[in-house]
Amino acid sequence: MPSERLLPRLFLTLLVAVLALAGWQWRDGAPLSANLMELVPGSTPDALELQAEQRMQEPLNREMLVLVGHADRQQAVAVAQQLGERWQASGLFEKVQWNLQADLPALREQLLRGRLSMLSSKDREQLIQQPEAFIQQRVQSLFDPFTGFSLVPSQDDWLGLTGRIQNSQPQHGAVQMDIGSGALIADADGKSWVLLRARTTGNAFDMKLPLQVADLLKASREQAGAHGAQLLAASGLLYAANGQQQATREMTWVGGGATLGILLLLLLAFRRWRVLLAFVPVLVGMLFGAVACVALFGHMHVMTLVLGSSLIGVAVDYPLHYLSKSWSLQPWRSWPALRLTLPGLSLSLATSAIGYLALAWTPFPALTQIAVFSAAGLVGAYLCAVCLLPALLKGVELRPAQWPLRVAQSLWQLRTALLKRVPSSVLLVWVLLFCAAGLWQLNTKNDIRQWIGAPPQLLQEAQAVARITGFQPTSQFFLVRADNQQQLLERQAALGKRLDQLVQMDKLQGYLALNQLVNLPAEQQQLREALNNLALHWQPLLDLGLPLSALQAEVAQLQALPTADIDAALQGPLAEPWRTLWLGPVDGGVAAMVSLQGLNNPALLRVQALNLPGVQLVDRLGDLNRVFADTQISAAELKLLSCVLIVLLLIAPFGVGGALRIVALPLLAALCSLASLGWLGQPLTLFSLFGLLLVTAISVDYAILMREQIGGPAVSLLGTLLAALTTWLSFGLLAVSSTPAVSNFGLSVSLGLAFSFMLAPWAGRQKHAL
Amino acid sequence: MPAMDVNDKAGRLTLRSALRFFAGKPAPTLIALLLSFSAHAFDLQQLSDQLAKPSVIHGNFTQEKHLRALPQPLVSKGTFVLAKDQGLLWLLKSPLQQDYRITAQGIARRDANGWQLLPNKSAGAEQNRLFLAVLQGDSSGLQRDFDLQLQGEAQQWKLTLTPRSLLLKQVFTQINIDGGALVRTIELLETQGDSTLLRMQDNTADQPLSNAEQHDFAQ
Repeated sequence: MPSERLLPRLFLTLLVAVLALAGWQWRDGAPLSANLMELVPGSTPDALELQAEQRMQEPLNREMLVLVGHADRQQAVAVAQQLGERWQASGLFEKVQWNLQADLPALREQLLRGRLSMLSSKDREQLIQQPEAFIQQRVQSLFDPFTGFSLVPSQDDWLGLTGRIQNSQPQHGAVQMDIGSGALIADADGKSWVLLRARTTGNAFDMKLPLQVADLLKASREQAGAHGAQLLAASGLLYAANGQQQATREMTWVGGGATLGILLLLLLAFRRWRVLLAFVPVLVGMLFGAVACVALFGHMHVMTLVLGSSLIGVAVDYPLHYLSKSWSLQPWRSWPALRLTLPGLSLSLATSAIGYLALAWTPFPALTQIAVFSAAGLVGAYLCAVCLLPALLKGVELRPAQWPLRVAQSLWQLRTALLKRVPSSVLLVWVLLFCAAGLWQLNTKNDIRQWIGAPPQLLQEAQAVARITGFQPTSQFFLVRADNQQQLLERQAALGKRLDQLVQMDKLQGYLALNQLVNLPAEQQQLREALNNLALHWQPLLDLGLPLSALQAEVAQLQALPTADIDAALQGPLAEPWRTLWLGPVDGGVAAMVSLQGLNNPALLRVQALNLPGVQLVDRLGDLNRVFADTQISAAELKLLSCVLIVLLLIAPFGVGGALRIVALPLLAALCSLASLGWLGQPLTLFSLFGLLLVTAISVDYAILMREQIGGPAVSLLGTLLAALTTWLSFGLLAVSSTPAVSNFGLSVSLGLAFSFMLAPWAGRQKHAL
Repeated sequence: MPAMDVNDKAGRLTLRSALRFFAGKPAPTLIALLLSFSAHAFDLQQLSDQLAKPSVIHGNFTQEKHLRALPQPLVSKGTFVLAKDQGLLWLLKSPLQQDYRITAQGIARRDANGWQLLPNKSAGAEQNRLFLAVLQGDSSGLQRDFDLQLQGEAQQWKLTLTPRSLLLKQVFTQINIDGGALVRTIELLETQGDSTLLRMQDNTADQPLSNAEQHDFAQ
């Protein structure tokens, strides 16, 4: 037949084209991504919010905090210094810092310039309302040997404003500077911990950097250990490195395990080396999936690869469809076998594709990618199985082993024997009871943390670092918008008042807001005016011998200081902590963030923003968890919708009754798996739901196979068994993943497949027109 | 995920620490100097032992603050009590009255309501550590941060401290201490050109702590 020559050629042409496209896509290395945030729904349509979020996230993805601990302080410093030098030399970091080299002249300059704009509200009020007390305190501090040095010499600041600004800087944490070395040290657990900070050249989503950093850390741990020192590290990079290693490991396990299992199964069942060619459609499927994914999204996420590797088991079902006919169709020839099974194959492709593509409509970019990957992969595998594989298998005479058929036959007999004693209707009642009791025990759980299979050691270290240093930044922050800078500072001050209360109640450790750094223009003006009256009260200073002219000159100089705006206030080393908070002019207004430390109760934060115009809480984690819960409902709706579509599709070949029956079985299987999750004490998560969504699509295929019964019930059951086994091999392996989301997905699909196989024989028997 | 946020604000600690450092700096330095314990040949060890001997020292002090811009120094006077195992009472009498106490807990100032531990210093574990090291005659602290030079003999010696670290060099050029059985004067030369001269007079190591003094330390 001409099509037998034409089809392989056409397909090969297509394959070459796709290969060329793949080559072009990979021209600059693997278009892979490991950015976790790309996988979760982008619930922020607001560009400013997004920008703010990125600004807050940036240090997480580029910075690394390490504590070097040793019972002997000197040793701790020495080891930190060694490591610091080693890290600097590694070329992985833009900046490595283990000690402090304060730029004192710049500090002095900033303090002098900011005497009016940076003076704390407490000191400002005293100067304005109690000038006598203000002067008295200054006299005291001039004699006080213990108040400390001001960075600015007395003659440049007779009123002592810079000293007050110095002392009123908000302080967090338990980290102190070591006088001699300049190292930053915290004491805890009987050890001195020297803080080492490093900023990488790239970010955590670079594919190589996190692994290199993790390796360097490992080597550094050994080096420190040799000196009796202990290392504690915290960084988003380490999570990224761990995630990548884990993904690679799991991809190898799932992909390799499924491949080996399937190849072995093929060999055992069909006893011909050439039957291994049935794996070619799988490879083609993976290729099509990857190319489509990169073409649509610009890159492919590693998680897509992990979940996508389960496609192996589904793709191999297409060749199995006609290979398994060799038990009934003797002599078996590839093209005739294909023609016989082609309608079933095509239906199978359509239903699976519907099931996968239903995932694409969830708000999860991760699932959209997986849907596209899988749907394209299935099409590729189908085309290869239909166009190319029969040509490759031409001339192969399959004489399959008889034992699988005997197994299937005895299974079928077992079922028939069972049905003689217990009718189907009674069985159904039992199954429904099983489901009801299981569902009763089912509970749901949704948390973004399910995406992260972080090992406890990483978490413990990060917690230890937070405890020892006292830095406990939270991922939540406030975004404040206003028409102009003045209004912005006012709004921040209003928010600050509420946050101060939380701090006093110990519900919050502290916060950073721009209004702590710079006073309102009006407040700066009040200070200027108050200075006019100061001459009435400064006699005690004159009594000490301070020249009147010096004081007058200073007041004049202070009054001449320009009113500082936010941009001016952010100049200078002291403003460093605040610099990231300023978003600048946006959309005809201005915006800034307020960052938080050591939060006990996130729910309290939401209340703080109430009735404050322009103030908004950004709580990405909280939002995500809410999206998770909402999505569960839409996932269930999608599932029903995909069932309706499949029913519509199946009405043509099987009639309304047949179509309903074929779809009812996977639904019942899904219900059984839900109940099993309940019985097993496993929570129902969004991912188990997605898994079940997929099961519907895949297991419709089994029901169709059983209903068509080409070659008798035992042969059909064997075909279903093989298909289920291969699919189960790949999805079942996902269940061992250490990422809760992935393993949950694998578990629910595995359960669903098992039930689908058991229920498939009830699909009835189609009377063929043939 | 929240745990990985730790790095976030680390940048902020650097300058703040620097400021706290300068804010709290003089306390340990001064105390270290008062007790001044480290030594070479007449030897630092001997000096250290000699100064660590008395358990309680009473005395008067005069502090002269020489500011570059003032023709006259700012002079203040008062008394002090140094108790080996407890700490230091620094009682300023003129031109204004103010009592200070330095103990393991930190620096406290007396107001109408009694001793008030100064804020900022609560975080000053470093200062307290140095201070305690000094009280216990542990010389490693000072020797790490300063180059020590001792001249003279047991009854007439002079100790010169030159800062080693870049940071300290930006604050002090040199610190000079001289004395006999006890410390007599301490001179701090600041990089900015100001200097402080502390004279300890009428020092005695004979009196035990009075009840009031014991009470002050106990609070």
